[in-house]
Amino acid sequence: MRDRNVYVAGAAGAAVAVLALFVFAFVFPVDWVVALVDQLDTSLLSAALRLSVPIAFAALGGIFAEKSGVINIGLEGLLIASAFTSIAVAWALQGSVAPTTAAWAGFGAAVLASTLLAALFAVVTIRYEADQIIAGLAVWLVALGFAPFASQIIWDSVNSPAVPTLNNWVAPGLVDIPVLGPAVFDSNPTVYLMLLAVPVSWYVLNRTAFGRWVRASGENPKALDTAGVNVRRVRYASVLLSGVFSGIGGAGLALGQVGQFIGSGQTMVAGRGWIGITAYLMGNYNPIGAFASSFLFAGLNALQFRVQQISELNIAPSLVQMVPFVAVIVVLALVGKTRIPDAAGDHYESGDD
Amino acid sequence: MAVSSLAVHLDSITKRFPGVVANDDVDLRVEEGSVHALLGENGAGKTTLMNVLYGLYEPTEGVVRLDGEAMDFDSPRDAIDAGVGMIHQHFMLVDPMTVTENVVLGNEPRKWGGLAVDRLASRKAVVDLAEKYGFDVDPDAAIEDISVGEQQRVEILKALYRGADVLILDEPTAVLTPQEVEELFAVFEELTSQGKTIIFISHKLDEAMNAADDITVLRDGVNVGTVDANATNREELAELMVGREVLLDVDKPSVSTGSSALSVSELTVRDERGVVAVDGVSFDVREGEVFGIAGVDGNGQSELVEAVTGLRTPAAGSVAFDGEDITRASRRSRIARGMAYVPEDRQERGLVMDYDLVENGLLGKQHDPAFAPNGRIDWEGTYEHVTDVIEEYDVRPPDPSASAKSLSGGNQQKFIVGREFSQDPEVVVASHPTRGVDIGSVEFIHEQLLDLRARGKAVLLVSSKLDEVQSLSDRLAVVHDGEFVDVVDPATTTEEELGLLMGGESVGTVDAAPARGDDA
Repeated sequence: MRDRNVYVAGAAGAAVAVLALFVFAFVFPVDWVVALVDQLDTSLLSAALRLSVPIAFAALGGIFAEKSGVINIGLEGLLIASAFTSIAVAWALQGSVAPTTAAWAGFGAAVLASTLLAALFAVVTIRYEADQIIAGLAVWLVALGFAPFASQIIWDSVNSPAVPTLNNWVAPGLVDIPVLGPAVFDSNPTVYLMLLAVPVSWYVLNRTAFGRWVRASGENPKALDTAGVNVRRVRYASVLLSGVFSGIGGAGLALGQVGQFIGSGQTMVAGRGWIGITAYLMGNYNPIGAFASSFLFAGLNALQFRVQQISELNIAPSLVQMVPFVAVIVVLALVGKTRIPDAAGDHYESGDD
Repeated sequence: MAVSSLAVHLDSITKRFPGVVANDDVDLRVEEGSVHALLGENGAGKTTLMNVLYGLYEPTEGVVRLDGEAMDFDSPRDAIDAGVGMIHQHFMLVDPMTVTENVVLGNEPRKWGGLAVDRLASRKAVVDLAEKYGFDVDPDAAIEDISVGEQQRVEILKALYRGADVLILDEPTAVLTPQEVEELFAVFEELTSQGKTIIFISHKLDEAMNAADDITVLRDGVNVGTVDANATNREELAELMVGREVLLDVDKPSVSTGSSALSVSELTVRDERGVVAVDGVSFDVREGEVFGIAGVDGNGQSELVEAVTGLRTPAAGSVAFDGEDITRASRRSRIARGMAYVPEDRQERGLVMDYDLVENGLLGKQHDPAFAPNGRIDWEGTYEHVTDVIEEYDVRPPDPSASAKSLSGGNQQKFIVGREFSQDPEVVVASHPTRGVDIGSVEFIHEQLLDLRARGKAVLLVSSKLDEVQSLSDRLAVVHDGEFVDVVDPATTTEEELGLLMGGESVGTVDAAPARGDDA
């Protein structure tokens, strides 16, 4: 209940802020304010949804893993691995099959790669009881090092050439709905997947027996064990799910938006996995809240890109780039308490006393 | 009660662990529809025996029979399927989930071809079960919002939901108030009247005699006798348990009290979350007096003790030692002044589990010139001192180089008590000094406390064991929700009255005067 109130208050606050901006622009037609208001259009909404994809999928994956008691901070690494794999496979196939087929093959390969990496993480942390934080960091560092390295070997550069991408799907009829139509129903397939995955994740967590086991496994694994459910199996399944979700997210970023792999610096993923962790914490492990947080961040990010283009606004771009991150900190402070699962981070050995 | 057949028959069970015989040819017969108490000291093998029945351990020798049929349990799963349910001492509940969700966990009714939990059916199953056995639980409440007594009923419902006919309860009353204990025993009656069989583990004589039909006593892994609860008495049971005669009633000679040694006034303490845990409490502990504090765990006792001993800074109020203010004095200076402290959690606060007993024996004395002249530790002297403590307090095994973790809980406790009391303290703060200790050692620790009192020392005793605080204290404060509900004379207050006070109800008629005249 309290959760819901926070979201309602947040949404109302955002609406009031936007409205105030419009009123302000109307009353005081200062150049840069008008220019700013001009940016708030349908294509911004569409861009925000697109930018949400990697963040929201990483967040959904993180929710399942952590709810089951395994803190997966390797999400960033899973995104990098899947982004790279998707481009590499699409690139390899692009000459021999149709571009769409190549892109979808890349997508499938990305999900597989991310899931395998997550499986490795699961074995190390669940079976061999390695520290979850250290193993998660290792996943990130391995991906961060390996992807540009492989890129260098394949393409002689940390960046790949352009590859076929996943084209937008237009939903006939629905696309004619004003505002919402062009923003939502002329989107990349991965955006639709995200809009489907969020409610389905919520449903699985809250309405299915498996979801209850996941929650029990993260709160009190012993209770679950004595109830006759195999805790390890539940945790493996949850961590693998985090791999599947991150794989979709990474492929969505690479094939749905960028169309190439960029391996310089922090790679093209550039912290989206970390933001995903923040997003699910902000959403208090609720998939819907996590999506809202991802969307907020992505929306501010999209806006930030455009604000940099406003010539009337003479602000250093690096300051503008900070806005989404500052906003995240402010919202984190306002949202208040996140309830971390009691047994998150703890190993569980059946029969331990 | 018309009992006819044996619901459970543990047929000559022997369970050996490497180097230890936990159960030695134990024969346990439990009649259907009866309440059977399994009584014994710590380490007598009660829990091991029940774990055999519950399928956690396979017996080395012997057979488990249910309704006359030999069983071969590989895991608790098999035992559950055969109708055996176990309620562990630490509840196996998921705190943020509701009562219903916990009861059906792992066996959720499904709908839509298994895609969803049938929440209506779950709730109905729980409500029906609760109604059938007369339980008072809210099926929609979260576990973290209900009382410990209710949580225990949820555990029982869980077992019943899984079809248990035989219920094993491990020390079920350890965490309950006296009223909740009464309620639990009423639940036992309701369950047995409907044909269920109950076995409960205990080391409390009274409760075995009150609640059980039959009592089996284990000592050192051996069944030393099964008796009819109506045809026995405390003395007989105690002797069976310990193997020698035990003085159950503390013989408390009158001691003249001196001036105030420890004085606490208007003390307010906040817990980790910043919530007021102790709310303006004032009291004095005089020389030659045991001042008891009774209450259900978690009503501010821990925070109060921490503030007195210097482990937590109080939000307001003061603590004085021999008239000198020590509210903000460091732990070290309190030790130096002669304040001994027996912490409530021996493994968390009392000992370093990986240290041996010599190192543990030094803890708190590392600054004492007697143990560390010129800033260097005198290990040989410490070794001798620890050897004396071990001998005097009968710590087993009597090996100073044993690590603390290799000792049983009762022996760890005896060691801590010995370490603290051997320093000839002026004030002793003892928090649950006999928690988890068997009655032989309880008797010993009680004697030590009374000995300190006789020597004119001040003792602040916190315990959730009513009989303990009642028999040892000269004055007894009852704490509820961070406040003293009342300060009573334990000799003239009944357990029922104390129980009500512990629940926060004020009993106006109790005389709050000290047991003896001031400065006699």
